[in-house]
Amino acid sequence: MTQTAEGKALSRERLLSAYRMMRTIREFEERVHAEFATGEIPGFVHLYAGEEASAAGVCINLDDRDTIASTHRGHGHCIARGVDVGEMMAEIYGRKTGSCHGKGGSMHIADLSKGMLGANGIVGGGPPLICGAALAAKIKGTGGVGVAFFGDGGSNQGTTLESMNLASVWNLPAIFVAENNGYAETTSSTWSVASDNIADRAAGFGMPGVIVDGFDFFAVHETASEAIARARAGGGPTLIEMKFTRYYGHFEGDQQTYRADEVAHARAELDCLKRFAGLVTQTGELTRADLDAVDADVAVLIDQAVEEAQAAPLPTAADLLTDVYVRY
Amino acid sequence: MGDAIVGIVANPLSGRDIRRLVTQASVFPTAEKANMIRRMLTALGAVGVDRVLLNTDLGGISASVLRAIGQRPAQAGAGPDGRWPEVEFLDGHPIRQTAQDTVDAVRRMVAAGARVIVCLGGDGTARVAASAVGEVPLLALSTGTNNVFPAVREATVAGLAAGLVATGQVPAEGTVSRAKLLEVRAGGRAETALVDVAVSTERHVGARAVWDPATVTQLFCTFAEPDAIGLSSVLGQLCPVTRHEPHGVTARIAPDAARQVLAPIAPGLVVPVGVGEIGRMDPGSEHRVEARAGVIAVDGERELTFEPGERPTVRLRADGPRCVDVPVVLAASARLGLLMRTRQ
Repeated sequence: MTQTAEGKALSRERLLSAYRMMRTIREFEERVHAEFATGEIPGFVHLYAGEEASAAGVCINLDDRDTIASTHRGHGHCIARGVDVGEMMAEIYGRKTGSCHGKGGSMHIADLSKGMLGANGIVGGGPPLICGAALAAKIKGTGGVGVAFFGDGGSNQGTTLESMNLASVWNLPAIFVAENNGYAETTSSTWSVASDNIADRAAGFGMPGVIVDGFDFFAVHETASEAIARARAGGGPTLIEMKFTRYYGHFEGDQQTYRADEVAHARAELDCLKRFAGLVTQTGELTRADLDAVDADVAVLIDQAVEEAQAAPLPTAADLLTDVYVRY
Repeated sequence: MGDAIVGIVANPLSGRDIRRLVTQASVFPTAEKANMIRRMLTALGAVGVDRVLLNTDLGGISASVLRAIGQRPAQAGAGPDGRWPEVEFLDGHPIRQTAQDTVDAVRRMVAAGARVIVCLGGDGTARVAASAVGEVPLLALSTGTNNVFPAVREATVAGLAAGLVATGQVPAEGTVSRAKLLEVRAGGRAETALVDVAVSTERHVGARAVWDPATVTQLFCTFAEPDAIGLSSVLGQLCPVTRHEPHGVTARIAPDAARQVLAPIAPGLVVPVGVGEIGRMDPGSEHRVEARAGVIAVDGERELTFEPGERPTVRLRADGPRCVDVPVVLAASARLGLLMRTRQ
């Protein structure tokens, strides 16, 4: 089932929305990178900078019926799904005003009201959740889909492989998005992924597997929109493998001695935001002024988020006993 | 025959695009690409090729061949696997995981004196390899999606043919023939195509493949075979042109045209395509792209965007790559008794 040319075309509003999503993710991550270095942010953060086209190109096709599950590197997915940026920043700062009242931190940001089942501290933790969400959508007949984002490390987890099997067996409206940024923590995916291309595994589960240039918003969007339309229409699951590079280490503080300097090349030549801006201004779909206006808005938004997070109260000892299943 | 060098370039990314999702296009696993090279090495060794140059990749093909070489018993002469040529891996260059890797590898093979270059991929890979091959004969084998130019052929047989040409046992004359080429120019940029050029109303290169005929407005073909897959099959049913005829063919495509051809424009996709006026393309003549803006696809993949004022042109050229004709080579081998041996 393919969509019509009209269905695929991106309106001016959608293009602006895509750019805003990607720019917000980038600014958010660059700012967290800078603020983390001050020592004010507790715990670990794993930055999504460089991978923005994946979250935006997939999530811009989703609506209220849909659910996503994320990874350690979850800020981009949260923003693309519409989680409040101020609450996210507060959560990362461990403040009471955060999405999870400051008790989750970067790796556990969740907002069920946005269909965002959470960033996840468990590698390969998202795909089983998405099978559940997709099964619910199928039984209820909502037309909703579930999207599991996972990394090249997560692609080797039994949970991910079992989920792909189950999704095929039950013909679930589930999309598996393998974000292959080349390294699972410090281990190269060319060494650790036996089939080399994660997408090749789809054939074994009887689902389509597609490799996409993860730096190219338009390639991601086109592929994801087809996969999602197919899933909504009862066509079953798809595996999409994004190939790209993360701009920062596995976590902030990672010395990255395991990789050559591939980031400078990616930032200069492949960057999703630069590429998007170049393409839409070349075709005349958007102007540089349109994009600059978004950049200015986003800068204010991120400044505000940081200021408010820093000013917000920390949880109190009594908060330890709220939002838990067992009371002591 | 010490200079009988064959280059093999395999694209690790062929057969992985969106057509797996929007049509039922085949999947060609990395392991099978590596196996094809192993079978080809056996055939190349059997006909006396001494040295093979193989591109390195991050997709696991060259690694798999390297492993296979390590697992073989010492070169023991005749056996079930026979003697393999010495394999030299073209490493030491950065791998970008783009089409440029194919170009770089083919250039190095040409510079190293390869007498035949075999490429494994789809139409896209063959197009890229052809752009760098110069006068060295090319043998394109299919491991991709729209396989019009590269043949779907057993690698062992292709290896025999490549080896017979590379060693000079079969003369190139009459067994290696020159292909036609389409040259697209738009605003200072140029691309080539071996099979077809399609003008699309899409605005972006995006997922590259062209599978929605409603977006296509013009089609140019070097040849159009009635049994082809892909866009050239449309004209293959209406006005076939062979690979060896000097001219090509072009047509306006419009969804509402009175004349509709039911065509296999992608694997698993048979759809009606409306065809307007048809024209002949003579070598050297320049044809204008009529759309003001859009995307140009070469051999089934969107490659160039163009804007108002750029006025792209398409020209048929007679000086495409020299291609090894496998059936003709093996027929010549039969005539000359090249594979005949006398039991001692």
